[in-house]
Amino acid sequence: MEKDEMKDELLAIAAMLFDEGRVEHFLGYKKGTVKFKARPLIARSKEDLQDLWVEDFFTPNLTLYLKEIKGRVGILVKGCDSRSLVSLLKEGQVKREDLYVVGIPCPGQIDLRKVENAGAGEPEDLEEISRRGMEILIRASGQERTLQKSQAFLDKCIACQYPKPLVFDALLPGEYVAPLPEPRPPEDALRKKTVPEKWAFWAEQFERCIRCYACRNVCPACFCPRCLVEENLPQWVSPLPLGGDNFVFHMMRMMHVAGTCVSCGECERVCPMEIPLMKLNEKMADDLRELFDFVAGVDLNVPLPFRTFSQEDANDFIK
Amino acid sequence: MEAKPGMEKNEKGWEPKILAFLCRWCSYAGADLTGSSRISYPANVRILRVPCSGRVNPLFILKTLRSGIDGVLVSGCHPGDCHYTAGNYNARRKFALLGRLLEYVGIDPRRVQFSWVSASEGDKFARVVSEVVADVKALGPNRLFPTTTHR
Repeated sequence: MEKDEMKDELLAIAAMLFDEGRVEHFLGYKKGTVKFKARPLIARSKEDLQDLWVEDFFTPNLTLYLKEIKGRVGILVKGCDSRSLVSLLKEGQVKREDLYVVGIPCPGQIDLRKVENAGAGEPEDLEEISRRGMEILIRASGQERTLQKSQAFLDKCIACQYPKPLVFDALLPGEYVAPLPEPRPPEDALRKKTVPEKWAFWAEQFERCIRCYACRNVCPACFCPRCLVEENLPQWVSPLPLGGDNFVFHMMRMMHVAGTCVSCGECERVCPMEIPLMKLNEKMADDLRELFDFVAGVDLNVPLPFRTFSQEDANDFIK
Repeated sequence: MEAKPGMEKNEKGWEPKILAFLCRWCSYAGADLTGSSRISYPANVRILRVPCSGRVNPLFILKTLRSGIDGVLVSGCHPGDCHYTAGNYNARRKFALLGRLLEYVGIDPRRVQFSWVSASEGDKFARVVSEVVADVKALGPNRLFPTTTHR
């Protein structure tokens, strides 16, 4: 079976890396505490690899841990994760020679929040999730339900432009999600609304933020040794979760990750208040493409947008 | 409308408060020339001198709005004339992105404006300030963040 073939090859590679002393750590996935979710596996030896689990549900972006785990590391990356890796390489946060990158083909990830909102089942009631062509079959509390991929996939997977990892030393066999031929057109209905309508939406979102910083903590692009919110001399941002201060935090985080954020979607996935952070990321990515012809995490040779400039940069907004 | 701490009030009613970040080499000198040429311009603007428009962190603009100031102006040297060679080019990129993000989130772009004013453009500075004040006055007071910062 395909899945076993992929796991066997992965185990062989990871074991080889430890046997030959080529890595001190291997980053993969293990079973989550919640069914149909994966947790990161930080293997320090060949023995730790027995927890390796690469069934359908490997959503977390493991490049996050490259910021803290130093030395030589083996890492599993999906297509979207590999873009984060390219970003981190460009930002000088990780050295290519320290890494052994194993590319894993991704058939698209299931969004358990969407499954729950579609009434197909809450996480604790789910019994089985399987794929059949363009459909996802879900069994929860004995009831069966079929969802289309667009109803069950993470938004980023529906519009995946980079299913094949851009950087790898070894590529595992398996099924990829089907890519779209053109860049996804912005479907965000919010962009067509008036300015006051937009504020009505976002003011409410910023009010709901509890400043747990899960978005910041899970983000591979957030690598400041000291986050601006932790600075208290001067205190740029009040730590209180008031709408105004939340606004400053989120807008500044966007400006800080601009050019490095690859819209991997982890921030939105981990937000306990379900704030649609990907709307901001996607808007920013579209703006960077329009303004500076820049796409993050794709080409190692293209300079980062704020490390360079052009005489022809947009000037029409300046008096 | 009742007066609140920090709100401008004169016999004509509410007046907007604008914070202007002016680069020391061009725009601030230009503003100085406006004054010494005895050209009148609206008193709504408060000037904060920075060494270069590139020194202006987007955070400053966000904090200004968060604290209830009605409008922001950032002004620097014309492209090619930056005292630090490329500070204003850097600034141009940052503010192009910030302006779009602010508008997407629902803050009217007329509240946060940018200009290139050279040291000899005393008249331009007066014109820019007049326009910004008029724009912000039409938008009304900044009521984006009703809760105050605890200080």
